[in-house]
Amino acid sequence: MMTRQKAKITRRQIRVEQLKKSIKEFAAVYKRSKSGLLGLAILLFFICTAVFAPFLAPYNPYTRVDRPFRPPSTRYLLGTNDIGQDIFSELIFGTRVSLTIGFAAAIFTVVIGTLVGVVSGFVGGAVDEVLMRFTDVIMILPSIPLLILLMALFGKQSFFIMVLAISIMGWTGTARMVRSSTLSIKERMYVEASKAIGAGDRHIIAKHVLPNVSPLIMATMIYQVAGAMMSEAGLAFLGLGDPGNKSWGMILHYAQTSGGWYANMGYPAWWWIIPPGLCVAFTIASLVLIGQTLEEIINPRLRRR
Amino acid sequence: MAYIARRTGSRIITFFVVVSLLFFLARSAGTDPFERYLSEDPRIPQAQIERLRAKFGLDKPLHMQYLDFIQNTLKGEFGYSLYYKRPVFDVVMERLPWTLFLLSISIVISTIVSFAVGVYFAWKRGTKIDLWGTNIFMFIRSTPHFWLGMILLLAFAYYIPFFPLFGARTPGKDFADVFGFIKDVLFHATLPLTTLLLRQVGMYVLYMRNSTVEVLGEDYMVTAKAKGVPGWSLMFSHAARNAMLPMVTMTAMRFGFMVNGAILTETVFSYPGTGRLIYLAIMNDDFFLLQGAFFITSITVLMANLIADLLCAWLDPRIKI
Repeated sequence: MMTRQKAKITRRQIRVEQLKKSIKEFAAVYKRSKSGLLGLAILLFFICTAVFAPFLAPYNPYTRVDRPFRPPSTRYLLGTNDIGQDIFSELIFGTRVSLTIGFAAAIFTVVIGTLVGVVSGFVGGAVDEVLMRFTDVIMILPSIPLLILLMALFGKQSFFIMVLAISIMGWTGTARMVRSSTLSIKERMYVEASKAIGAGDRHIIAKHVLPNVSPLIMATMIYQVAGAMMSEAGLAFLGLGDPGNKSWGMILHYAQTSGGWYANMGYPAWWWIIPPGLCVAFTIASLVLIGQTLEEIINPRLRRR
Repeated sequence: MAYIARRTGSRIITFFVVVSLLFFLARSAGTDPFERYLSEDPRIPQAQIERLRAKFGLDKPLHMQYLDFIQNTLKGEFGYSLYYKRPVFDVVMERLPWTLFLLSISIVISTIVSFAVGVYFAWKRGTKIDLWGTNIFMFIRSTPHFWLGMILLLAFAYYIPFFPLFGARTPGKDFADVFGFIKDVLFHATLPLTTLLLRQVGMYVLYMRNSTVEVLGEDYMVTAKAKGVPGWSLMFSHAARNAMLPMVTMTAMRFGFMVNGAILTETVFSYPGTGRLIYLAIMNDDFFLLQGAFFITSITVLMANLIADLLCAWLDPRIKI
């Protein structure tokens, strides 16, 4: 009894040690990439902004604080919009909305994609054929009209529906990739060996396939966040966002439709139009940098380039 | 031949799936158009609305409506737009040329530019030009392109008031000759085209560069170099030609992406194309128009897809025609 328990603890300790070691190794490789670090820094900056939004924002972004179309000044860093709300505060709170939708949609996307990919690659045959043709159809389709339709189908414009609609359209790339790596893992010797000793499908998927595809999935997920944020910006720009949760895209939507172009004595309110787009661009660029670095770590063949 | 037949067959199936999907989505998403357009008017009796619904076949069960829809579509009959009060076909055809004009020009230019620039960056890989170039294009790719459009408007239509703010041509203007008209259209299209180009070039330059870099590492490149093939020919007929393959495959994926671009860009510049039309049709619950516009756009997209497939087969003899 005693010895067994002891063995259990040491095994767990070994596992923890291994994990620590691999994280350390990973960090060491990651640190070598300057662009990866830059991306991480930018992303952390935006994440911190999102987390501490209520402390950072000088005003409430949903209430009127001054006259409309005030140009930037020391009181209102980025001026005010058409109904006198502080744009700087809007941006800070918008970080929250945009990032949350991006990450939430990416998680859904990756889950659907992995599910379809693993099933398709592992089961094969007719199931594979049907799933892959379906994936092709979704991939070819222009996503925005379908996203708009999906959102109309669900009725109310809300945060969650936006996330759902984006993930329903976005899983195809992940599914294809997971499928192809499942196919290659399936053929490996150790899978054959574990089949030979009578392991079931569920065991093989859980113990062999998923752990081997997971690094790949992590890298894709970062790109998926970027993709989801881009889709969100587009949809919100078309006016399909949740008005109670203003994202960066929504700010641009209001700037486009409610007279941001004729604010400043017939001149456009540049302080309303330029900053939200820059925020989107920097966040997505940072995600792409991180994604590239992860890809290089996972697939060392790329590093030699 | 078998290859073409197989490809065409799978495209037709795809097309049916898409159209059916759209039909059911649209019918379940949109509220009844007569409810929306007429029932708010108290002067119209309910019986009248019922009669109209029967006339348009909206009282039938959904699967019968679907059969009607397929039948009529095959006959080229797309119904009436409820919002514009005109045949759908006419409304779509009026706008399709504008979108096709924008998209085809941007495809041609962006393919040429990304091809040339991508190969150039790959050739200069590891140098400062490559590093800066790829980073700049990566950043362009990360920006929402509709916002780039807004910035272009801001810069070149407001602060430097040179280009027009919206539309595809000067409204109500008569042109003395065809050149005047072309000049006006191109003038209006410059900013939207630039927006679409920035988006596509930003995307494809990096693909082209990476795929060329991959080809440059192949053994046959070393052989060709050793044989003394001159640099220019090495770059274009050996490296670039092979690197183009994944690019052409990408074009197959690219048309859905193009339609998205058209919707957003046309919105920013109030351009009278089909992208904007699809968006408005959804917003107005005009589902006959939506079906028609989407149908015609999908046909265009899938045709383009097929052309890309054939082009691919032509470039890569390993795919048997």
